[in-house]
Amino acid sequence: MHCQTKGSWGSYMPTTAVVIGDPLERIERLASENAVVIFSISSCCMCHAIKRLFCGMGVNPTVIELDQDPRGSDMEKALIRLLGASPAVPVVFIGGKLVGAMDRVMASHINGTLVPLLKQAGALWL
Amino acid sequence: MANHRVGETGLTDSGPSNHHHDISYAVLHGMNVPTSFIHQEGPAFGFGELEEAMVLQGVKTRNDEAKAPLFTTGRPAATLEMFPSWPMRFQQTPRGSSKSGGESTDSGSAVNTISSKTEIQLEQDSPSSTKKTTPLDHQQKMASDISRTGTSQNQSIAELPHEKRRGSTSEKQLDAKTLRRLAQNREAARKSRLRKKAYVQQLESSRIKLTQLEQDLQRARSQGLFLGGCAGAGGNISSGAAIFDMEYSRWLEDDQRHMSELRTGLNAHLPDSDFRIAVDSYISHYDEFFRLKAAAAKADVFHLITGMWTTPAERCFLWMGGFRPSELIKMLISQLDPLTEQQVMGIYSLQHSSQQSEEALTQGLEQLQQSLIDTVAGGPIIDGMQQMAVALGKLANLEGFVRQGDNLRQQTLHQLSRILSVRQAARCFLMIGEYYGRLRALSSLWASRPLESMMSDDHSCQTTDLQMVQPSQNHFSNF
Repeated sequence: MHCQTKGSWGSYMPTTAVVIGDPLERIERLASENAVVIFSISSCCMCHAIKRLFCGMGVNPTVIELDQDPRGSDMEKALIRLLGASPAVPVVFIGGKLVGAMDRVMASHINGTLVPLLKQAGALWL
Repeated sequence: MANHRVGETGLTDSGPSNHHHDISYAVLHGMNVPTSFIHQEGPAFGFGELEEAMVLQGVKTRNDEAKAPLFTTGRPAATLEMFPSWPMRFQQTPRGSSKSGGESTDSGSAVNTISSKTEIQLEQDSPSSTKKTTPLDHQQKMASDISRTGTSQNQSIAELPHEKRRGSTSEKQLDAKTLRRLAQNREAARKSRLRKKAYVQQLESSRIKLTQLEQDLQRARSQGLFLGGCAGAGGNISSGAAIFDMEYSRWLEDDQRHMSELRTGLNAHLPDSDFRIAVDSYISHYDEFFRLKAAAAKADVFHLITGMWTTPAERCFLWMGGFRPSELIKMLISQLDPLTEQQVMGIYSLQHSSQQSEEALTQGLEQLQQSLIDTVAGGPIIDGMQQMAVALGKLANLEGFVRQGDNLRQQTLHQLSRILSVRQAARCFLMIGEYYGRLRALSSLWASRPLESMMSDDHSCQTTDLQMVQPSQNHFSNF
């Protein structure tokens, strides 16, 4: 990614979230490193769908496969806590900000808010 | 003629005699006489006790014998109703029974005791005792010997009609009451048998009717005539699917109501504010539909994903357990004129984004299918149980895809209502409703079209008394 938006970590996380240590911090850090970050599991088909969605839009997302990461299971648990629901993946961060799981991503695409968000994050050009 | 005089009633049929014979047979051969036969005697569960009870309580025994048919028909309770005064009689019987017991102890075995007592009564009571079935004849002969020696019993015959309630001797009293009771027992037994016969006949006819109905149903299902048609070839439908089908048909009725509301509103050129309410309620109506589908996806995802809840024509265009949003928009675009430029852009971008989402979900589902194929095909490493467990885990993901499909559909409808003006939205929803109504009507027409192959069958597959799509038939008037 050429244009990477960075910012302080704290403001991007919901105020209700408690920084419980490494997993969440790592998630935040990874999320802010790239415009579009998808947390995924390689065998998950819905993750595949969401990757196809972004690629179909011309976006090149950064994908973090939790099953291939040594601290993946901790991060998975942290994501569940963050989302307030299972499954943990797929979950999308754009511009370091949490967008949500598949249903939120699709809803925002349908109601036309996804594309501006991507443009703002520098993931999409006209 | 119907003769209910004491002792004669039950003699014309062979029933009680037969059953009496059965019980004697059972006792003779030391079989376990089942508990309910003797339950009225109290704790006499063993054969020895039974024998004793029979000997000592001759009247009671006779009663129970006569009740035996009822027992064998499984309805001992019916007998009790026949003897409202039984408890009273019970107190009197021991006196009498001991005498009659003493009378026939010559025979020694309980069998003869039972048979002799009963036979004595039977023989004395009716000149037509010879009408009884042959197996009893030997018992009768045995009994008749004893009976001829028992003068007191002979006396009781004459006194029978008059001395039901009183008798100078306890034996006479015994006989009268016993006879009456016996006769009542027989009558009850006969009635019980008739009831049973009627019931069984009723069951049989119901069974035949049921199989016929099932056959009709199967034929209808294969034609897909049923609205929200029940599950496929097996004819089995899960409860989740059945519930959804029911709720869906109710939803369709509601849909009709909403649509006629919108129609009359449009025709009457109501002010926009009125339409706002109607449009919002229509959106809520669709939200309700997606809620129902979410519950159904959890209960029985296959029912949704195979489209068994829809009609064949709708099923043809099925995508991820429902309609394809981009197709719907394509259908609407031409009919929604006039639109402002902004609205046109909004609609086209909606169509575009829904197409992209559909493509993404389709690819995700394809990957799931491929993964499932790989699992089910198996390999040398995986054992059967594990293979199934893995496959089951993968199947569980289907629900997620159907849910996302419904989510997409719901979001599309919401976005449409945002892009369009209130009046346009009303027209739009009406068009959607009518479109699917026509598809359903098409399904019905298709199924009921005359075919050469069907002509030879009986016409149950073409009958209109099968539940055709009722709502869609109303549509014809609107086209």
